[in-house]
Amino acid sequence: MRRSWCASLFALGLLQGPGLRLDYRVRVVAGTGPDLQVLAAGAVSGPEETRLRFGLRTDTATVEALLSLLPDGDTVNVTAEFFSRRRLGRSRRGLPLWEEDTYHRAARLAWGDTARILPFGPRHSALRLELVLTRKPAGGVTRPAEAVDRADSAIELTLEAVLRPRRVAVTLTLTRGDEVGLPRSYDLVPDAPSRTIALPLGPTTRTVEISLARPEPPLGERDRVLALDADAVCLRVLPSDVGEPARQVCGRLNNVAQRLGLPGGDVLVATFAWPGVR
Amino acid sequence: MNGGHEEWVRQIEAELAGELSLAQRAALARHLAACPACAGARVSRLELEASFARSAGDPHARVVRRPRVRGRTLALWAAVVVVVGLLAGWLAHARWGGPGGGRGTLEDGRATILVR
Repeated sequence: MRRSWCASLFALGLLQGPGLRLDYRVRVVAGTGPDLQVLAAGAVSGPEETRLRFGLRTDTATVEALLSLLPDGDTVNVTAEFFSRRRLGRSRRGLPLWEEDTYHRAARLAWGDTARILPFGPRHSALRLELVLTRKPAGGVTRPAEAVDRADSAIELTLEAVLRPRRVAVTLTLTRGDEVGLPRSYDLVPDAPSRTIALPLGPTTRTVEISLARPEPPLGERDRVLALDADAVCLRVLPSDVGEPARQVCGRLNNVAQRLGLPGGDVLVATFAWPGVR
Repeated sequence: MNGGHEEWVRQIEAELAGELSLAQRAALARHLAACPACAGARVSRLELEASFARSAGDPHARVVRRPRVRGRTLALWAAVVVVVGLLAGWLAHARWGGPGGGRGTLEDGRATILVR
């Protein structure tokens, strides 16, 4: 409760302050000194509220984490929610047995400093992640970006920017049988009041009321810990026909189109995307 | 042989083991005088006991001693089994750890963030 309150204040500050772009630079290294070997490297950047979801996979273990930042002057507080899976062995029927664990870690470091993350614990410090956090002014609200280079095929590193969209570009197309209407794009804000739109289809026009909402919190522990639903939104459509209930379709940004049936046989095809740079 | 004869056969075995009172031995003698089957069973049992005594190297023995599990011996063996089991469990736990595998505590396998 307290963390969400602080996060809200932080988000409010971001809205009022100048735009900053955040960079997470990550390296997976093994060994020390002259034997230092970079197994994988990557970077994630985005607006200052961008969080980092990383995954490190070997043959016998997977460590995933969601890193969130709370700037405090020249330093930054890093909180990490970890989800790990370790292979214990095999069952009597020959199937792999895995042990799952979730836990929380926190650290404070200066901007530009290197934090070392030992993903498999202090006893296995040979393999580690090096994380450098920097921030710089940005011209405006910018999209997140991700890049990963891998040098060792035995290690799989994934880096993802996690960002709850403030606005979503929703493209709607009304279809009826083989007839397809002109696509219309709307800039919607999640949890904002609904608006009425008119969708053309041939000589006719259909009026519906649309609004955007966040999906229900995920039930799975991994989905919840790693915020896998961060870039998912739900489009709520209320047909103008009297007595018709509202309908809802959910999807991820920059993903496949979602189809929603409307009364009378019409189908509304919706795609969700990050809004353009402004 | 019916149920009554089975009871007399058990009495015969008890007599040969020296476990019957005088009154019980008298009752058994009266029954044997009137029951050829039970008398034959007693003869067979006696011959069997004699063969046991011969095979045990004591053909002139008066009774054949049967092995008995004493309470103290049983308690001693139970204690030995418990101690060996505890020792094996302790060694296995030290070698392979408890459920979850691996040595060390849960925290030892969890990720750590280090900041210089």
